Amino acid sequence: MTAYLLPIPVMLILSVLQSTAVSRINLLNGSADLILLAVAAWGVRERGYDAFIWALVGGLFIAVITAMPPYLPILSYAFVALLSRLLFGRIWQSPIVMLILTVFLGTLFQDVLSLLYLQISGIDVAWVTAMRNFFLTGLLLNLFLCIPMYAVMSDLRKTVKPEENYE
Amino acid sequence: MDPLVTAQRWLSERFMAVYDFFTLPRNVTELIQRNMELEDEVANLQSQIIQLKEQLREADILYSLLDFARSRPADEYIAAAVIGKDPSPFLQYVIIDHGSDDGVRYGMPVVTQRGLVGRIDAVTASAARVQLISDAGSTVNVTLQNQRADAVIKGSITGDIALEMIAQNVPLNEGDILLTSGLGGNYPGDILVGQVTDITKTENELFQSADVQPVVDFDSLRAVLVIKNFQITNISPLIPAGAP
Repeated sequence: MTAYLLPIPVMLILSVLQSTAVSRINLLNGSADLILLAVAAWGVRERGYDAFIWALVGGLFIAVITAMPPYLPILSYAFVALLSRLLFGRIWQSPIVMLILTVFLGTLFQDVLSLLYLQISGIDVAWVTAMRNFFLTGLLLNLFLCIPMYAVMSDLRKTVKPEENYE
Repeated sequence: MDPLVTAQRWLSERFMAVYDFFTLPRNVTELIQRNMELEDEVANLQSQIIQLKEQLREADILYSLLDFARSRPADEYIAAAVIGKDPSPFLQYVIIDHGSDDGVRYGMPVVTQRGLVGRIDAVTASAARVQLISDAGSTVNVTLQNQRADAVIKGSITGDIALEMIAQNVPLNEGDILLTSGLGGNYPGDILVGQVTDITKTENELFQSADVQPVVDFDSLRAVLVIKNFQITNISPLIPAGAP
């Protein structure tokens, strides 16, 4: 039960951190996404099916803050959870490589989805500039933070799921 | 007497040397402890200095805001602190710590002592979201201070602001000051917006365009003023059906 309730306080703290600090640390225009990293880090482990709960909770918290439509963050994080489950066990059983691939594809999906929404809303989107200034730099920051996030999420996992075997 | 004094000096020096030898270790321990105490005190004082500097900076900002508010006595303001930014990097929105409980309403213009910041986009009981003028969805009617020619500024996803819809015959120069025109009823008039920087003038285009350097540094925004008594004019019924 604790494992299912844990996403609420953790995602609340991460979304507050995201809005207050992380969103203000920009490289060109890109910034890291703690929620995406947390969902990916939780999902790439064995029996990480509850990553979908993390995605939903994180998406709801971000939806409250952002001016983007609420379904966009929920959809993005759900895709990351799905991706982490699809990739699980397929790449040399190595969670770190799976995590990096999940973060790469998740960041790409999130940015493309946001840009498509903006374009449909009638906003001029220069795709090449957007990919360079937002995606590449955001990805770099995400990759920089994904290993520390993986360590934190692994520790949390050990706390709430002590019955699992950890190598 | 001399031999006695010499002997006493010799004895005293030897005694002090022996005394120091036996008492020094205790003094070193005391000194180490005292040193630690002083280091703690220095650390405390340094943290106090940082806190005081921070308070001084906040006081400076508040004094500047107060000066601005005094320069426009007709307007009523709500001072608010910026507590966050939109998590999406594609959007230029900030979160402020005052909401509907404090009288903040949708559409109210937001300014600083330097100039225009944006407008209230969403409100909760204790917080509000402000759409910055650099946001891609933001459009502000402006006027050139010297020419009194009207134009429009638009934000973008990267946060750059562009000046558009300015007639070809208007002499536009780099450094020209832009003020809100008040047209459209979304913002009060004569609020400083920015300066013209990079002009693009093509002969076969209907309008000139230019880049705008905003007077407000949105990255270091800490406190803002919400203009409380500004009435937004809804002109949508006056726009003919089918108009772009």
